[in-house]
Amino acid sequence: MEELVSLKGVTRTVLLPDEQELHILRGVDLTVCSGDHTAVIGRSGCGKSTLLNLLGLLDLPTSGELRFQGTPVERLGNNERAKLRGSSVGFVFQQFNLLPGRSALDNVTTPLLYARGPAVWKRRELAMDMLDRVGLACRAETMPNMLSGGEQQRVAIARALVRRPRLILADEPTGALDVDTGQAVMALLDTVATETGAALITITHDVNVAGLARACYRLESGVLTPTEVPAGVLA
Amino acid sequence: MTGVVSALVEAWQELRINKTRILLALVGVALSVAALTSVVGVGNLACEGFKSAAERNGGRSATLGLGVFGPTQADPQKLEEAYSGIIERYGIKYYSHLSPAQQSFQFPNGVQQVQLQVVDPGYGVIHRVDVSQGSWFAADDEDRLAPALVVSEAFYNAAGRPNLVTHPKVTLTGSQATTAVIIGVTPDPYPQSPPSAYMLTRAAERAGIGAMVGMGQFKLWVQDGQAEALKAAITSDLQQQFPGMQIQAERMDYASHGDPFAAVQLAVGGIAGLVLLLGAVGMLNISMVTVRYRVREIGIRRSFGATSQRIFLGVMMESVVATAVAGLAGVMLAVAVVKNPWIESKIAPDLTEYPAFPIEAAMLGLGAAILVGALAGAIPALVAVRVKVIDAIRF
Repeated sequence: MEELVSLKGVTRTVLLPDEQELHILRGVDLTVCSGDHTAVIGRSGCGKSTLLNLLGLLDLPTSGELRFQGTPVERLGNNERAKLRGSSVGFVFQQFNLLPGRSALDNVTTPLLYARGPAVWKRRELAMDMLDRVGLACRAETMPNMLSGGEQQRVAIARALVRRPRLILADEPTGALDVDTGQAVMALLDTVATETGAALITITHDVNVAGLARACYRLESGVLTPTEVPAGVLA
Repeated sequence: MTGVVSALVEAWQELRINKTRILLALVGVALSVAALTSVVGVGNLACEGFKSAAERNGGRSATLGLGVFGPTQADPQKLEEAYSGIIERYGIKYYSHLSPAQQSFQFPNGVQQVQLQVVDPGYGVIHRVDVSQGSWFAADDEDRLAPALVVSEAFYNAAGRPNLVTHPKVTLTGSQATTAVIIGVTPDPYPQSPPSAYMLTRAAERAGIGAMVGMGQFKLWVQDGQAEALKAAITSDLQQQFPGMQIQAERMDYASHGDPFAAVQLAVGGIAGLVLLLGAVGMLNISMVTVRYRVREIGIRRSFGATSQRIFLGVMMESVVATAVAGLAGVMLAVAVVKNPWIESKIAPDLTEYPAFPIEAAMLGLGAAILVGALAGAIPALVAVRVKVIDAIRF
């Protein structure tokens, strides 16, 4: 399978106000190919979100090599990374992060406003198709505050996938949902990712969610190590 | 192309969603623009009013008054020839004698002294004489056997307000009684003003009032830029023809010592600028608060692939689109205020015909609104661009 994103010896360090360095990630190696479903588990504060930001081209490593579709990311400027992120990466957040005051359809349409060409003009049609795929075509004009948690996350998934990204990054996607809804959402995410051939990286501290992945890594004190896929309750 | 369209769509969505908050912010901008446009519009109207009154008194810009004075009176015939020569040599289209005279008239209620202005047809153009009834003198009125008169409202009232269609006659009393015909009526210069009338120079000569013509002035309306050069040339011409006499060739109009409205316009511009500055500060304040409120949303948009330029453009466009709409509303309000008949009559009571709302005031208001939007949008847009995506999403 085609290599999508690879990290070799990646570190991420931040300077604290007292001039001391905080090492968030230490020598991380990770390769993700198209169609993979990878889970990264770890406790709060272990660097999961920092890793997600690096994978999503929102941040750059302090040292080491990060390649996206074979291109070294540090060679790309801010705007090039933004464009690559828009066209190739879809984010699903724990708190859904739907834009308030906009209908489900408008939320799904929003990423298409940053696309180019026909996708901009056909944005409503494409967004409706995606809402249909997550089973929410009938709630297209509903405002986020009128949707349940599960429905909001399904809208967020539709929004993440509407530009057909090659990499889906899910940050604690079931963190704000009950067990049953979380299971349904993860099943949907997995199905849609598989259908579109996208790689799915789920960052979670929930072993049940990690149990749905085909590969699993544990992040502890900034060090990423491969681990067995947990046999979660839901798996 | 798609980038601009998408930015406009985004800005419109943002305005639609936050309409109440933005509407409140824009009320301030609209009122500022309305105030700015009204101040400029009212200033313009007041200037027009002052200008109209000044032109009635001193003539249009530039009006030259000629005169030849000395120990003895200049030969009237030679003076007339000199003036005719000047008109011909310099191709002057509008000119007029202006000689005051006192003349008694027979009215239905008795004889009354009237201030008579002996003029030429060009006087009406040079002094912007408005005629409320009938007409001003035409060139062939000089050939009438019964002299034509353009009279004031007070004179017309004293004459019993006859219908001008019937060519009403009045009698000039004195050693040489003459019958004159009223052809036009001008408004009184001020309330309770005494009766006055205009008569053409040649007609006055025939009626025996010509004796004072040589004592008066001769006025020329020339182009603004040529006034100084003509003054020197005419003075030189007259001096050659009347050696030993004192030659007067001076500007008589309101603009003879520079534009008297420059200071007023500067003051009006200063007030307008201050009004606009207050509006801009208000808008900036609200925009800054809005951006802080939208940090998370900006972070989410960045995660969708929005570039820094796109975020900058989006935040700025919101401000520009909103202030452009507010500016339009403000300009419409200003037009409604300035063109209100009651306000017009109070600001420029001397005007009989009010000028159209100055397009430059409308353009200034709209331009200022867009500029305020761009400036008030640029600072929050810079703040928005500096938002750290990771922090913003967790905000």
